[in-house]
Amino acid sequence: MKPKTAIGLATVLVLLLAWYLATDVAGLIDRQRFPSPGDIWTAGAQIMTRGYAGGTLVPQALYSLRLVVLGFLVAAGTGVPLGILMGLSRRFEALVNPAFLLVRPIPPLAWIPLAIVWLGLADSAKVLVIWFAAFVPAVINSHTGIRNVDRTLIAAGRVHGASQARIVWDVLIPGAMPMIFTGLRLSLQASWTTLVAAELIGAVLGLGKVMSTAYRDIYPAMIAVGMITVALLGALTTKVLDLIERRVVPWRQY
Amino acid sequence: MAAILSAARGSRRELALLSLLGAALFFGFWQMLAISGLVSKFVLPSPGEVLIAALTMMVEPFAGNTIQGHVAASLGRWAMGFGLAAAIGVPLGLAMGYWRLLDAMVSPVFEAYRYIAPLAWVPFAALWFGTGIGGPVMVIFTGAFAPCVLNAYRGANLVERHLVEAARTLGAGSIRVMAEVLLPGALPSVVSGLRVGAGLGWQSLIGAELIVVSSGIGYVLVQGQSNLAPEIVIAAMVAVGLTGLLIDIALRLAEARIRQRWGQTP
Amino acid sequence: MSDIVFEAITKVFPRGGSSFTALADVSLEIPDKQFLAIVGPSGCGKTTLLRMAAGLEVPSSGIVRVGGRRVNGPGADRAVVFQQFALFPWKTVGENIAFGLKCKGVPRARRDELTRDYLALMGMSGTEDNYPHQLSGGMQQRVAIARSYAIEPQVLLMDEPFGSLDAQTRMVMQEELIRISRVNPRTVLFITHSVEEAVYLADRVVVLGRSPGRVTDVIDIRPVREAERWDKVASEEAMEMPGFGHLRARIWRQLRQEMQISRTVAEV
Repeated sequence: MKPKTAIGLATVLVLLLAWYLATDVAGLIDRQRFPSPGDIWTAGAQIMTRGYAGGTLVPQALYSLRLVVLGFLVAAGTGVPLGILMGLSRRFEALVNPAFLLVRPIPPLAWIPLAIVWLGLADSAKVLVIWFAAFVPAVINSHTGIRNVDRTLIAAGRVHGASQARIVWDVLIPGAMPMIFTGLRLSLQASWTTLVAAELIGAVLGLGKVMSTAYRDIYPAMIAVGMITVALLGALTTKVLDLIERRVVPWRQY
Repeated sequence: MAAILSAARGSRRELALLSLLGAALFFGFWQMLAISGLVSKFVLPSPGEVLIAALTMMVEPFAGNTIQGHVAASLGRWAMGFGLAAAIGVPLGLAMGYWRLLDAMVSPVFEAYRYIAPLAWVPFAALWFGTGIGGPVMVIFTGAFAPCVLNAYRGANLVERHLVEAARTLGAGSIRVMAEVLLPGALPSVVSGLRVGAGLGWQSLIGAELIVVSSGIGYVLVQGQSNLAPEIVIAAMVAVGLTGLLIDIALRLAEARIRQRWGQTP
Repeated sequence: MSDIVFEAITKVFPRGGSSFTALADVSLEIPDKQFLAIVGPSGCGKTTLLRMAAGLEVPSSGIVRVGGRRVNGPGADRAVVFQQFALFPWKTVGENIAFGLKCKGVPRARRDELTRDYLALMGMSGTEDNYPHQLSGGMQQRVAIARSYAIEPQVLLMDEPFGSLDAQTRMVMQEELIRISRVNPRTVLFITHSVEEAVYLADRVVVLGRSPGRVTDVIDIRPVREAERWDKVASEEAMEMPGFGHLRARIWRQLRQEMQISRTVAEV
């Protein structure tokens, strides 16, 4: 094992140990406010077997995951093509930019109240907000990706007699893929952040609902369980995206 | 499709006109949709109604304060959270760039923390700080912290090794090396990180205000929503966006200034 | 007393799976105030040796002592002049030179005074407020040398300081260095690729062999220099002198041998 990894691992273990000692053993920290590892374990077990705030862990997690994936896919499906088009045509970009620039500075979370006015607390409201959040990075990065394709490659394509359409499909879009995926990673991150916020504000089911209910019940260990699950799902979905990227963009240096 | 991709990229004037057209289409479409009666007034107010709501709130208090007052309250919280994130994050990032041991120790903890969305800390923040100012500040800190650290770290790594060695052979101690070599050397990267952190901090603030406070522009958003007054909601959204934009522009200018002055740095 | 002593220095670098021996059992002594030049083929470890004296590198085995004390890390008693100048781009010329003084805690007024003195010494008065990027390579290196001199180090370690300068500037800098060294002699360890430069500047020249680096020859320059009075003439004339020529040829032969050895080894 590399020394760096070893030191990192050791630090984490020391911290965990200190946490355990301070809470479960010495009772130095008020467990009403700060859960101990044991508390979190118990809470985790509870939600997995008996459920909390409307369901056991798996349905709750899947509920949230479903919304994230849905919102993300819609955002990717609309944002990436839009960004590509904006990158390909300066005229199109000029036309669309004003609307985009007006909407862009508004933080995605600020759309939540409006989405609630429009769609209430239904799932569609959350998907809408996730879409807003994930849309912007997808557009921007796709746009930049197309614009940043090495001019020499385009010239090489032209010199070989490639038609306009072929240049787009065989040079520009593949060339933009790395940046497009960077944008998608940001979109995914934004999707999770927005989902958590939206579910904290108002939800029927989901990990955010678990966390806000746990807050109301003053059950910090359960809040932690919710947070950890969100973090793990976030890491998982990012990993899946990475794997897809490796398939689609095998030439990228990692 | 072919027309869009035509070889001519469009003259400057043509592009400017298209932009104007785009803006006009956007507002025109909105106005028509609002007037048409297809959607209820409680769902989509016209641009004019939004403007009136905004102007009214500048003079008459809504939910406890004028709109400027609310923005100021939000900015105050943001400044505290962001200031804290910068004051702790930048030195930490530089130190991690300088001491391999610290880097090895902190990195895994930092990576794990990065995976947790800042807003996920809100329940804990509320639990620990109640409705006090600590809650939002903590959430803003969480949002702004990572970019500050990461960019300082990357910047420090980019500083030429010889410069650090030269400083040490001239008798500089660690603190001096960090303050007089790493920090100036990493400055373009640090400022870039501050800009990103500022933006993320502002976004986290809004999120936190939606959930836990009783003043600030986020609170206006929530009140507008519960009063079913979308014109207020949209006006507040514009205020939020505008403020965020101004912060970003100010920091971009600072960044450009610094890059210009120290652009010779590797 | 500021002599440099290398005692049985060995340095091994891990390279991928295997290892690379940069120096093998090198012992060398540089008496107080002597100017020693080290020449050798690329990769023979001469820079590593200098970095160990500077405290920037640790020997795998063996001890480095300066002034009798074991070297534990970098310090202001051993100033380094780098090939790439290593001037702080965000500081002015004056601030660069004053940096070491600041670290020592010298008060502002005195710092400014010393900065002016050293700039004058290097023939660069009035450039305090310029930034490094506004100066030519030769001028930048002068600032770097002034910066090292300003802290009045016991020992000066110079790692191919004129390597990135053009030929003419290089000659001028060599003459400058001689001039300052006579005014303010101190122990100098000077690394160079140029045999001529080594013979011209140094009191003694050490030839280091190819990896694993060991001392293959030590040549005493001083007697010849004093006999032929190189200091009294311009550098190009000194280099025409017979004694100079003999020394240069001798060292070149040594180096050539080293390079041939490495070539046959490579062919095997």
